[in-house]
Amino acid sequence: MIGNKLEPNNNRWRLIGININDAYMNMAIDEAIAKFISKKRVPNTIRFYRWRPSAVSIGYFQSITEEVNLDLCNKLKIDVVRRNTGGGAVYHDTDGELTYSTIIDLDNPFITQDIMKSYEIICSGLILGLKKFSITAEFRPINDIVVDGKKISGNAQTRRFDSFLQHGTILVDSNISKMFKVLKISNEKISDKMIKKAEERVTNLKKLLRSSVSFEEVFQALKMGFEETLGITLDEGKLTSEEQKLALKLKKEKYLKKSWNFKR
Amino acid sequence: MYSAELKIPGGKLIRVKFSKREDKISDIMISGDFFLHPEDGIEELERRLTGTKIDLKTLKDIIRNFFSEEYVLIGAKPDDIIRVILLAKKA
Repeated sequence: MIGNKLEPNNNRWRLIGININDAYMNMAIDEAIAKFISKKRVPNTIRFYRWRPSAVSIGYFQSITEEVNLDLCNKLKIDVVRRNTGGGAVYHDTDGELTYSTIIDLDNPFITQDIMKSYEIICSGLILGLKKFSITAEFRPINDIVVDGKKISGNAQTRRFDSFLQHGTILVDSNISKMFKVLKISNEKISDKMIKKAEERVTNLKKLLRSSVSFEEVFQALKMGFEETLGITLDEGKLTSEEQKLALKLKKEKYLKKSWNFKR
Repeated sequence: MYSAELKIPGGKLIRVKFSKREDKISDIMISGDFFLHPEDGIEELERRLTGTKIDLKTLKDIIRNFFSEEYVLIGAKPDDIIRVILLAKKA
């Protein structure tokens, strides 16, 4: 599927993670990295992270009041942030979900104009990672990964900031009924019976493996999956001080702002 | 306020809300879990729809023109945006 060869010096990417941040910082870090990659100041990067406190992220085009049960989030101290990427609302459980971002220079041969093809390329890294647990997962267009038809990963892509960014989730052990309570679709649009149906449409690693799995194990498996699929070596690294500084600024001036989160 | 939503089978949801002033669209918001690349296009699309008449021909001209440019919609077809606006008008 991947016929393109990388430049020889282009196949060492940076690996960051697992970091734990609040929702606003997580989104700010993705943007900061993307901006430095477009300036060719840092290598292509794959980042793994978790969200503390648990949070809801909504798609760029979504209406926050239509999608999120804000009163319940407030009560449960769940943060809500708007992403730069389209797609749907996601509940990021601190103890049940691992998020990844791949942030890549637009000149990289993996990045085709074809958006659906790019989803498939990045998702194949996750699928290979899941195989390390003997789980057979498949890509389900538009932007999901499923196991036996049940969703385990949702993904979203943007080419803002003159670089390629795809981030997404891997459900490890999420509180699925809480997920459907904070996302408004369960509360107002569908009955209890329908919530049950929605719950049946998603799965997670703990359920599939019938035992607990640590974030570290998932991280290592997905790291290998990306390395093998993309033909890259991931070198452990961290944010540069410039990236850190920009991320803090973006958190304060963009992601924490009502004008951003409530713009739709 | 006029509003409607449309879930595309095998695709995404598009929701539209607008007011009408002298039979023309004002204050339109298009939302949903679709993907539009580049993303800032949504504000441009809303701007172009503002002040237009809500009939099939006018909407077709605007939407087709818009998507003949660099914009790519994923999870719905450009014509679905017309469908949901006309649905809202009827509602």
